Amino acid sequence: MQHIMTAFFFCNAPMSESLFVVQSGLAEALRKSRLPGLLDVLQSVTGLVLALFMWGHMMFVASILLGKTPMWTITKLFEGYFFFGKSYPGLVSCVVAFIALVFVAHALLAVRKFPASYRQFRAIRAHAKAMRHGDSTLWVWQVYTGFLLFFLASAHLYQMLVWPQNIGPYASSDRIWSDGLWPFYLTMLLAVELHGGIGLYRLAVKWDLLPASRAFLKRLKWGLTAFFLILGLATLGAYMKIGYEHRFQYGERYTPETLPGWLLPFAPAKDFSGLYPVEATFGKEAS
Amino acid sequence: MKTLMTDVLVVGGGLAGLRAAIGAKRRGHRVLALSLVPPKRSHSAAAQGGMQASLANVIRGQGDCEDVHFEDTVRGSDWGADQIVARMFVNTAPKAVRELAAWGTPWSRVRRGDHNVVINGEKVTLTERTEAHGLIAQRDFGGTKKWRTCHVSDGTGHAMLFTVSDQVIKHEIEVLERTEALALIHDGERCYGAVVRDLISGEIFACMAKATLIATGGAGRLYRVTTNAVICEGMGHALALETGIAPLGNMEAVQFHPTGIFPAGILVTEGCRGDGGLLRDVDGHRFMPDYEPEKKELASRDVVSRRMEEHIRKGKGIPSRFGEHLWLDITLLGKHHIEHNLREVKEICETFLGIDPARHWIPVRPAQHYTMGGVRTNPTGQSPWLTGLFAAGEAACWDLHGFNRLGGNSVAETVVAGMIVGEFMADFCDDSANTVAQPIKLAEEFVQRESAALNTLLHHPGKENAFRLCTEMQEVMTRCVGIFRSHDDLQEGVSQLQRLLQKSRDIGISGKHSGSNPELVAAYRVRRMLKLAVTIAHGALQRTESRGAHFREDFPQRNDEAWLKRTLAFWPDDRDATLPRLEYEPLDVKRMELPPGWRGYGAKDYINHPDTPARQSEIERVRNRVQTEGGDRFALQEALMPYADHLPESLRGRNERLDEPLENNP
Amino acid sequence: MSRPITLQILRYNPQNAASRPRLQSYTLDKADGMTLFIALNEIREHQDATLQFDFVCRAGICGSCAMMVNGRPRLACRTLVNELPDTVVLAPLPFFELIGDLSVNTGKWMRGMSERLQTWLHAREELPDLRRIEEKMEPEEAEAVYEMDRCIECGCCVAACGTAQMRQDFVGAVGFGKIARFRLDPRDTRTDGDYYELIGDDSGVFGCMSLLACHDVCPKSLPLQTQIAFLRRKMVSQALQPAVAQTAN
Repeated sequence: MQHIMTAFFFCNAPMSESLFVVQSGLAEALRKSRLPGLLDVLQSVTGLVLALFMWGHMMFVASILLGKTPMWTITKLFEGYFFFGKSYPGLVSCVVAFIALVFVAHALLAVRKFPASYRQFRAIRAHAKAMRHGDSTLWVWQVYTGFLLFFLASAHLYQMLVWPQNIGPYASSDRIWSDGLWPFYLTMLLAVELHGGIGLYRLAVKWDLLPASRAFLKRLKWGLTAFFLILGLATLGAYMKIGYEHRFQYGERYTPETLPGWLLPFAPAKDFSGLYPVEATFGKEAS
Repeated sequence: MKTLMTDVLVVGGGLAGLRAAIGAKRRGHRVLALSLVPPKRSHSAAAQGGMQASLANVIRGQGDCEDVHFEDTVRGSDWGADQIVARMFVNTAPKAVRELAAWGTPWSRVRRGDHNVVINGEKVTLTERTEAHGLIAQRDFGGTKKWRTCHVSDGTGHAMLFTVSDQVIKHEIEVLERTEALALIHDGERCYGAVVRDLISGEIFACMAKATLIATGGAGRLYRVTTNAVICEGMGHALALETGIAPLGNMEAVQFHPTGIFPAGILVTEGCRGDGGLLRDVDGHRFMPDYEPEKKELASRDVVSRRMEEHIRKGKGIPSRFGEHLWLDITLLGKHHIEHNLREVKEICETFLGIDPARHWIPVRPAQHYTMGGVRTNPTGQSPWLTGLFAAGEAACWDLHGFNRLGGNSVAETVVAGMIVGEFMADFCDDSANTVAQPIKLAEEFVQRESAALNTLLHHPGKENAFRLCTEMQEVMTRCVGIFRSHDDLQEGVSQLQRLLQKSRDIGISGKHSGSNPELVAAYRVRRMLKLAVTIAHGALQRTESRGAHFREDFPQRNDEAWLKRTLAFWPDDRDATLPRLEYEPLDVKRMELPPGWRGYGAKDYINHPDTPARQSEIERVRNRVQTEGGDRFALQEALMPYADHLPESLRGRNERLDEPLENNP
Repeated sequence: MSRPITLQILRYNPQNAASRPRLQSYTLDKADGMTLFIALNEIREHQDATLQFDFVCRAGICGSCAMMVNGRPRLACRTLVNELPDTVVLAPLPFFELIGDLSVNTGKWMRGMSERLQTWLHAREELPDLRRIEEKMEPEEAEAVYEMDRCIECGCCVAACGTAQMRQDFVGAVGFGKIARFRLDPRDTRTDGDYYELIGDDSGVFGCMSLLACHDVCPKSLPLQTQIAFLRRKMVSQALQPAVAQTAN
């Protein structure tokens, strides 16, 4: 896998001296490449970005637990609705594209560490099992979850990239319930939270930059994982419940009946004229 | 037959062998080393407390020099040492420490200012000099007048061995790991190398060399309770003994270390007492001052061990299901000191005893520790009986330690002898007179002889079990040839060992494969060990005096008149022999720089040598003459016993100290 | 009363083509202070003289007797039988060349590692004048060097390392410990650029996945986690330096 990466990084390089030296099997005699060091940092940095993004992402989607309107507000916020007076789901696509790029990079970098053959896989699995060593076992789980995320996260990212407008209290709930994607999200939730939590812990011990003991970091890691898992399960439950209740209005989009007073000045007046003065109006989400 | 050719063959991968190998290699010779185990696993690693060298950096070492180190060593040996060798040694020891420092050994260093230490059970503040800050530090050890023991915390041997071993790798010296020399190839006058067995494949082959060095360490495993590693079975001693030509010297001189943990016999360093630890009895009483008012816990090892056993015999031991023991108390040194300067001791106590030495006393009892006897050599390290055969370190009787070795002089000897003998082996190889045709035919005969012997052993339908024979031998040695010796016990020991030696000719082996086979190894080794054991017991029986570690209850006095001589043991060239032939090599009082006297500790009565008074008055005359001529200590030493010519040229010269700056001339 | 312990020992003799790896059980009575050193020798003396294992110092100093005790590497000589369950599986260290039963050739691998990582002091002066007073060194520096110098090359860290189980060319924590030791030593003239040449790749420090079993099993309790992390940071800053500094030869 590393060779693929090397090739990837050098594909645009002009024909150089080193090319022929390497072809002659004399690479070892050259000074060491800086690439492995860069790749190691990149793997950590991309992992860190993804993990922090996932935590943010989880907080945003969990807004559904506060109600449909808060979730709608956050969705609209990301679509630029409160800045431009109109929704631009393309903005979400841009963020998704960036994350997808980081994701692909991380996957490519991380897969270098995966067992490359059945022999290696068997060795590491037996090793972790027989050793009964926590951190080694966690790593095997990271491989399993990472492998799952190749598919799950790719699919999810593609979906969000292509149909960014389908995010919202009803749109998301319909996708989860009526489109039958809740098993997909449940699996991804477990995989992501385990993978991200273990990964962040691993970063902390790998670079040893935090003034905290390994035991504390490990407790912190499990605490955070538990917190985000519970939050995630509750959130998924909330979407499923809304999706179930909304199953006969499938496709309908959510528009809040009312907005909190502090938000009103930012909302385009044309969409919420009825709210001046504050008074309930029924409306539909812009389609 | 496979034959490897080299210039220097080193048998043994410990400090002495490796250092000698580097010396010969640096002089441009091809060197091949054999080691039973990876060299870094050698028993040198177990030396904890330190290495003596008169650097005089610490305040309590001020005034130390070669002369004081020399006197301590000779007194410690109970005048058994070769004083020329002792002089060569004390002058080279500082160079050895400094060489190791330059090679990377992380010697503990002096810190300027006040330090709280424990001396004689009391807290004392010592102030180290500013100019000494950062120089190599010394600690106190038994039997020394000054603080002279350079150390790396309490992992000195480990740090030294790793340094030297890494230098071996740097110098690209080939080490055949897991190989064992079975016999020396010789024609009765000259040694041509060794027959070697690969302990993994079982292959037997010849290693032919101009110079062959035995540096295989001690033979502690002849005893049941020993601090020695399981590989210290004296197989190097046996190589020489079995030639029937090269004798072993002073094999009856066996040192017992006062503080083996009880009952396992694992060593806790003399540094415990050097740093202020005390010995206590069943009543918690500190008993050593009762016996040795001057040096107390820090008398020489033979004396302290004897006093401990004596005290136990008086009923003052602490009873336990494994027997009686005494206490070593280092609680007064404090947790910080133990965790920094005695961490190996702490680990050992925690693991093997389940106690914290900062809070609990350590159960200890003397355990076999060091083999003063060995392959008898001259000061160049060569056997005068077999040209081309050298020995160094514990396997040799060079003879630095006489009848008792001082703590800290053992690892020191390994590197110093390695430096000196390495140079002399290189000289030997350079000398065209020693360039002789290698008799490959002879080597082949030896290989065939050893192969046939092993084959016979492997398929012999004997009824004795090698492991059990070994255990029996260890019991006999511990019971009959221990700290206190007497005619009856020794006689009993000799006949028991003879009986076991005969039984060992009828060993049967259950696993018949010739490769990696622990049973086969045990079988051929126990035969050799029994020869060594009977050599020790027989020598001890014949020596009707007490000297150093050899203590006869029926002859408690040191008798210089009859016994100021070295025992030489030859194994007869007779298949049925069960006893060595003993000869004696007298020590010449008339040439001694320090004629025999009281050691400063231990028994005060001894039978003088007739030459001693004359030599003493001669020394007085020389001293007065040199003083009136205004000569310094070097001039006096030179007048009493010149030795510099014995050293290799590259290792001559004075040693610089803070208080003794070296002029810009040599 | 003493309770029996059953040792299930992985037996295999690679020199014998007919031999297949199998667990063989031996039962003996536990005793106070009995270590695996004592137990295995008792088995060899009284039950099975063909059993292969390695011990040298039997005091936790030499590193010869590392083996897998119930799946984890540790020094057998320092393992008290009383602290073990009543049935224990003993197996040879993985990764290293097997000699037979519990005996592995760690020495051969360690020498190769030392040659590869040049684990000796690269001093300014090849042959200093030994008559002169030694070069000074701060006491704290000497202590810090010794802290890492305590490694006994037992192989536990490598046997416990997930990366090493998958990559035979991985230098392992023992290798990193050595580099850290010489890097700390003010007498060594090598720069981080030199060390990058030794461990700046995926068989070196960038191959380490920080599973930290090395740290957890080290019988000498070396601070491997912090030392490897420290090396990684130094090697990364080396990799991130301007190319000019890197390629200047």
